[in-house]
Amino acid sequence: MEKIGLYLGCNIPLKAPDIEQSFRKVFPALGIEPVDLEGASCCPAWGTAPSFDLNTWCAISCRNITIAEAQGVDIMTGCNSCFGLLSEAKHYMEEPERRKTVNGLLKAIDREFKGASDIYHVAHVLHRKVGVQKIREKLKYSLDGLKIAYQTGCHALWPTKVYKVTEDNPYQPTILRELCEATGATVPHYSRLEGCCGMGGMRSTDAEKSLKLFREKLVSIKEETDADIIVTTCSSCFLQFDMSQPILKERGLIDFEPIPTFYYTQLLALAMGFDPGQVAAISQIDRGPIIGEIQSEKRLIKEVA
Amino acid sequence: MLISQDKINEAVATIVGYGGHGILNCVQCGACSAICPGVRAGFPLLCRNLIRHLLNGELEEIIEDSSSWGCQACCRCTEVCPRGVGPQEIVFAFRRYQANQLAFSTSSVTSQMNLYETGHAVYVNPTEARKKVGLPEQTPTSAFNDRAKEEIQTLINNSPMGELGLF
Repeated sequence: MEKIGLYLGCNIPLKAPDIEQSFRKVFPALGIEPVDLEGASCCPAWGTAPSFDLNTWCAISCRNITIAEAQGVDIMTGCNSCFGLLSEAKHYMEEPERRKTVNGLLKAIDREFKGASDIYHVAHVLHRKVGVQKIREKLKYSLDGLKIAYQTGCHALWPTKVYKVTEDNPYQPTILRELCEATGATVPHYSRLEGCCGMGGMRSTDAEKSLKLFREKLVSIKEETDADIIVTTCSSCFLQFDMSQPILKERGLIDFEPIPTFYYTQLLALAMGFDPGQVAAISQIDRGPIIGEIQSEKRLIKEVA
Repeated sequence: MLISQDKINEAVATIVGYGGHGILNCVQCGACSAICPGVRAGFPLLCRNLIRHLLNGELEEIIEDSSSWGCQACCRCTEVCPRGVGPQEIVFAFRRYQANQLAFSTSSVTSQMNLYETGHAVYVNPTEARKKVGLPEQTPTSAFNDRAKEEIQTLINNSPMGELGLF
């Protein structure tokens, strides 16, 4: 089984461990063995070292990358910010002067960045290494008839020059759409598809501006797709959709019920028959009814051995 | 306003020093601002407008503006810029200038402390949630790894961040 370093970041292992559990369930079943990167830290987040000093950012990112290098594996991350930060740091390390300086900093902790491990997103591993055909073969329940609005999120898309895997057109991303379609669901287009959800630095700096931007996107989803589910491969987008829809509803700023939101591998794990108490257990929005619908007997495709 | 060449030189040198190497390539076309979610959300000093202020020699005059901290670092701007300016790099260079002058919100201090103490910018005790979903209570990350935490602290102590008196 192909091994890949599972880089967890912060939000997934600490706030949304059901997403982590969904990785640990679906990947081995799809032929990929995630291995832990012991002692890995924050990527570090945009609001920390990258906001103070470029070389410190690169040193902390590269420390994480060296953990994978020592195990001879590439890195897979489920958080878009981590994916962006690690990929950008690795890109900066292509400057010879930068590499020399940062490796000088890493020497203090007996580490050296070599550049041997590539950075992949969970979505990329599913799309490029596993493939939609294999995903289809492993389904226990078909999502036929359900409508999904998808949210790729910013840091898997731009800037294309730093990423190992890119979309054909980052303004019209299709990787996650194809992954969602593999479950049998319908995945309609909506006009604000590439729009930012407003999480991240924007939310911590000015929550009202963030909510305004988020509402624009959400209303586009509701009016143009009337989706049953929102699916994302960004843990920050997940938190924003799950946390902020109820806020908008409570304030009377939307006139519809919050749309249940899943990280893609949670949805996939459910469709593969895994226990929702492990893979989709933590959310503000009540996902019970839609989980019941997904894992209902009428949707059974076959028993997976 | 009066524009002084000395102030322009100082602003440009500061931004370049903090990583905004492409600033002098900017022709103020506005492609970056047209696509920026932060501008759309209403932050006044991002992308084209921030660069305009900097190229007019303003630094201290705008140091208290929080727009740069609202930047998502999504890099749409850097992707579309036809002149290789790297507007996101400039917004972050300005943010680094602010940060090194301690011109940032107190709420941001928490993430720095979290990073220093646990290796995670966002930290909440995960044990209950992890137990609930059938995972080991401790993460395999720096949060529960003393050597990893020491390494992170060494990197931060040896950096300009270590000199700010935050830790």
